[in-house]
Amino acid sequence: MSDTALEATGLGKRFGRRGGWALRDAAFRLPAGRVCALVGPNGAGKSTLLALAAGLLPPTEGRLTVLGGTPAGARARVGFVAQDKPLYPQLTVAETLRMGADLNPERWDAATAEQVVAGGDLDPRSRIRSLSGGQRTRVALALALGKRPELLLLDEPMADLDPLARHELMGTLMAEAAQYGTTIVMSSHVVAELEDSCDHLLLAGSGRIRLAGEIDDLLAAHLRVSGAAESTDLSAHTVVESRVTGRQLTALIRPAGPLPGDLRTSVPSLEELVLAHLRNPGAPALSAAPAVTQGSAA
Amino acid sequence: MTAVTTPAAVRRPHLTRWVLRLHRPELVAWAGLVLLGAALLLWLGGPLTDAAADGWRQYNACDWSDKCSYDQDAILRYKDAYNYLTLPLAALPLLVGAWAGAALTGRELESGTAQLAWAQGVTPARWLATRLALPAVAVTAGTSLLVFLHHRAWSAARGRIGTAKSWWDPWTFHTNGPSTVALALAALAVGALAGLTLRRALPALAVSLVATAGVWGLAQWLMPHLWPAVTRVTGLKHGYDGLYSGITVDQGLVTRTGEHIPEPVCSAHTTEECLRMFEKRNAVGFFHTYHPYAHYGPLQLTTSALALALAGLFTVAAFLVLRRLTGALRPGKGATA
Repeated sequence: MSDTALEATGLGKRFGRRGGWALRDAAFRLPAGRVCALVGPNGAGKSTLLALAAGLLPPTEGRLTVLGGTPAGARARVGFVAQDKPLYPQLTVAETLRMGADLNPERWDAATAEQVVAGGDLDPRSRIRSLSGGQRTRVALALALGKRPELLLLDEPMADLDPLARHELMGTLMAEAAQYGTTIVMSSHVVAELEDSCDHLLLAGSGRIRLAGEIDDLLAAHLRVSGAAESTDLSAHTVVESRVTGRQLTALIRPAGPLPGDLRTSVPSLEELVLAHLRNPGAPALSAAPAVTQGSAA
Repeated sequence: MTAVTTPAAVRRPHLTRWVLRLHRPELVAWAGLVLLGAALLLWLGGPLTDAAADGWRQYNACDWSDKCSYDQDAILRYKDAYNYLTLPLAALPLLVGAWAGAALTGRELESGTAQLAWAQGVTPARWLATRLALPAVAVTAGTSLLVFLHHRAWSAARGRIGTAKSWWDPWTFHTNGPSTVALALAALAVGALAGLTLRRALPALAVSLVATAGVWGLAQWLMPHLWPAVTRVTGLKHGYDGLYSGITVDQGLVTRTGEHIPEPVCSAHTTEECLRMFEKRNAVGFFHTYHPYAHYGPLQLTTSALALALAGLFTVAAFLVLRRLTGALRPGKGATA
């Protein structure tokens, strides 16, 4: 088993020959066992990245390694829940799970799948087409979790769920990650939704990966500073965002060395960090994960 | 109550069972359609043909010196039933193509359930292979039975019913033999290809219909040229030989030098005038290149082979489109990291 769940180099995907790039120049490494938030506004390339990782789309350029192999080769060990939670409407809940068992004969964990469905008070005999959006999400998650994947890719998994179900299913996912060391990547355009559960961040914006790394490392690499506008010189540091209000300058920077003593500094929140990078697409990307691949499976 | 099975000793995914389960309504409808068609064709070849043949016997026995009565209703009933069964049977490939484009691949890709299957332990290649193979078996079995019964019904009427369709009537030609089966398989493949290419059910349905009609037309157009035809040369007085007895490939005049030229349009009132006009053009006789009834078998087989070759091409194209869509179809050898 590889210690790297996902590794991208120069990864890009363009739809159609003349279409725009949905994702470009993505480079990051996600170590195995992490719970990773894939955050970004609508159209940032989150779904494209997840579909590439699930082996459902070929990249236009660059390379993506999944669990130490090709995305297609890793398919059997990867669980994927697409954004619109496609399921066969004519099957019942029980039949859908039985299909999961039949199509994943070597990996299927019926107990886990049933447990996820049972949590939603779903009648196994009801047809998928009669379910609400949240109930469908639950069945889709049961199908993905029943596969007992090493890597679980979830595209906006919580969007259709009520707060109670969200809390419960997030708990199920975290327990899964803790018990089996499952790597989970879940996308959302709401940072706060994932902040408490995730230890790793991929920030996508306009088809690029803007930030990648452990959340703690990313936060530690940035500082929010404020000081007098005329006397503060930040040119030695990487300035992600700076704003002058009256004589006051506030900025989010990546310090490259000691800071002038008269500045007030504080650690930014994850949301501040994310918003500052999204508001300033010109700011250089940062990958705080260890860049070296350590002995991945050949 | 749960109906979830525990992993048994099975190793390979049971995709077949699920393709059958997902398309159970269509399978039931197809079985019903084939049974209904078979029953009607048996009725056509049995009681209807016998009654119409009796009517023709009565008709032929008439000496017309007196009032003559014959069972005209039986004759017309046979004719209607024959046409209403032959045309739908000839059009069966359209139904297969439309279904394949809309339901087999187009809808799956539109709704994302194809991706759902690929995200399970099923490679896209196996997904498509199963999705093509199972309907191919059902289509082959059902259509073969129908064309066999059609041929049986047609043979029963041959020589007994004056208005029975000739073997070379385009609809009759195809519904009497395996070419309709092969065309239905080509339609299945072209529909699957359209669904994969367009990834939406409704446009795929429309394109499949047009493409299937195109394949049908192409096969019908090429059919006379897929087996060497025979040429009969006759004198000018004798007229064409074998006209309206088979599939005409070419006809015209033979000149003194043996050259074949098209028959000029003759608007004269008598045959004599026309013959004089032909002679002025150095014509010494007529030629007629055509397929007699003896060529029915070879023409059927070569046309079927052509349709099957097209089916193969469409299938390969469908797998190529799928590869472009999903990347590697099978798990590659462990890639380097």
